[in-house]
Amino acid sequence: MKSGYSGLTPTQITGLFLGIFGLILPFLLPLGSLSFAGQIGLGIFIMAAVFWMFEPIPIYATSMLVIFLQILLLSAQGPMYMDAQLPASEPVELREHTWQIPSGALLDDQTVLVVTEPGKTEAVPVEIVERNGQHIIIRSEELSADQAIVTNTKHRLVNYIPNSYTDYIGTLANPIIILFLGGFMLAEASVKYNLDKNLTRYLLSPFGSKPRFIILGLMLVTAALSAFMSNTATAAMMVTVILPIIAQLEPGDRFKFGLALSIPIAANIGGIATPIGTPPNAIVIAALTEYGKSISFTDWIIVAAPLVVMMLIFAWWLLLAFFPPSVDRFNLNLKGKLNLSPKAIGLYVIFGATVLLWITENMHGIPSSMVAFLPVAALVTGSILSKSDIRNLPWDVLWLMAGGISLGIGMDKTGLAVWMISGFDWGAMGYITLILVFGIVAVGMSNFLSNTVTATLLMPLVISLHTSGVMGDSFNLLITGIVIAVACSLAMALPISTPPNAIAMSTGIIRTKDMAKVGVIIGIVGVMLILAYAMFYWPLVTN
Amino acid sequence: MERSDIYILCIEDEQEVLDAVVRDLEKLEEQFPVETSTSAEEARDVIEKLLDDGKKIGLILCDHILPGDNGVELLIELHKNDRTHTSRKVLLTGQAGLDDTVRALNEARLHHYISKPWSREELLEVSVKLLTDFVIEEEENLLPYMSTLDAERISENIRTRHNVSDE
Repeated sequence: MKSGYSGLTPTQITGLFLGIFGLILPFLLPLGSLSFAGQIGLGIFIMAAVFWMFEPIPIYATSMLVIFLQILLLSAQGPMYMDAQLPASEPVELREHTWQIPSGALLDDQTVLVVTEPGKTEAVPVEIVERNGQHIIIRSEELSADQAIVTNTKHRLVNYIPNSYTDYIGTLANPIIILFLGGFMLAEASVKYNLDKNLTRYLLSPFGSKPRFIILGLMLVTAALSAFMSNTATAAMMVTVILPIIAQLEPGDRFKFGLALSIPIAANIGGIATPIGTPPNAIVIAALTEYGKSISFTDWIIVAAPLVVMMLIFAWWLLLAFFPPSVDRFNLNLKGKLNLSPKAIGLYVIFGATVLLWITENMHGIPSSMVAFLPVAALVTGSILSKSDIRNLPWDVLWLMAGGISLGIGMDKTGLAVWMISGFDWGAMGYITLILVFGIVAVGMSNFLSNTVTATLLMPLVISLHTSGVMGDSFNLLITGIVIAVACSLAMALPISTPPNAIAMSTGIIRTKDMAKVGVIIGIVGVMLILAYAMFYWPLVTN
Repeated sequence: MERSDIYILCIEDEQEVLDAVVRDLEKLEEQFPVETSTSAEEARDVIEKLLDDGKKIGLILCDHILPGDNGVELLIELHKNDRTHTSRKVLLTGQAGLDDTVRALNEARLHHYISKPWSREELLEVSVKLLTDFVIEEEENLLPYMSTLDAERISENIRTRHNVSDE
């Protein structure tokens, strides 16, 4: 998020050029075993990472650009692979176990690539007998005359089967994106009919007028709403609730810092609680599902909600410790009246039914993404949402997630992800250390980058640790994925960390140093708590 | 506070009054640069120059009695001009007769009428309200304006308009 008014800043211009350079960089470096497609994938990855960090273009634009470059450069139908065929021929047998092969077929490590099945090759070690200009004579007992060997090992199809372009553009209709679409439409309708505000009014009333309980109430309500709605929209709504309270305080009263910080903190934490709470969850769930570790709506809540509650209570205690209440009671004057028009009532029914079906997924077994089409269809059928409301949906967020999922697919298919984790002895690190490191890295990165981008950049590594098997049996893909998702949402030390932070900071009530102080403590305690849950709780509730 | 490209323009022929207006707007000036002119003629030049530089005119505070064309005439002209149509327009005067005031309301869609003498609170309150209207209508990114303008209305707008979304 940038606060500038117009034009590119010098940082953004630097990022623009670095990103474009990053796209071609892999072709300028000797990268050993990385396939040609892997080099393209690495170029796209570097460009995307740089663009996401420096933001010369908006982050959703980078996501769309990723998909475009993938269909152009990596897909089976793109110009790069449209007519490509792997050059292979059968070796010429000179004597028994002695073969003549084209010189381009020999790899530096004295192996040749034998085609085992279309698009797949296996390296077979050979012994060089004689080099003969265009040809090499080799000895090998493993070759046979009916096996094709790759005659050009540098070819772009070596170790790569291009996906159809529909796999990349299809990410926009990935079940998890559809789940979010359902959530977005519910949220849009809730805002339109003020359901979020009215719920806030009802839910806050039991918390009375004592400041410490009002803060607790504000945090619980914010978290509960942001578990189903966008964190940002929830924070913006809650800011309109707290501004009148803050206006009742003396100008120098420090309690207002706590009040104003409670909203973004609770909004950020609340997003963890459900799959649709915040976009990083989507990136993680999409990647896990791809590898057979799908997690139901119910299971996600069972996994995440206890951590959310613990974090909220801790943050509440922390805010009260730093910024103790200065007055005995507050006048929480929430005005408004429940909308009882037929359309609004239609919304309440659809909202209730959808959420009920989501959280009971384990009981009826209907996938949450299918349930998500209930609000999608019902809200427009009942004219509860109009055409302009649908245009007003945060499509940028859907594209941001789709691009993230697409980047992950490309990194996996091109072999890039496995190549990136090679060269480091992950097994020596141990599973618990790995969880801790991923937690710290995710919180650290996500403080400066978009949460979704952080999840996008880290998830391919988690997946390749799983597929390569370097971590051994102790490695748990599902739990490591959850660690990434949760950690990405616990970064809130800076105004740029999350949009709710940016909104709270923009009110001018809080100072950056207060946000940083509280945010850093929450990040550290959060990582410790993640580690504890990953060791003791999550293994009990996942399989 | 970063300067925005949204300007406040004050048009007033008496230097002392002009100084008083500018002094009262001091709190806003950090973010919304204030330009002044002493006649309709000069105001047109200032507006032309600012718009050509890619700046925006968010708020125009105009006296009625001016040398040459009067304030109401100028505001009507600016209302009809596409480039200043969305600018918020305030007539700040003690001498406009009923006819002129009615004309300004009907033909210039005057946003506010402040009668002299004004109080600093009134002037600031009106300016904040009108600039909030202007940025909500014209600006994509509202966050930079929250601390100076009406934070509650801007938050409400972020809630409904999704111009800041989860990322």
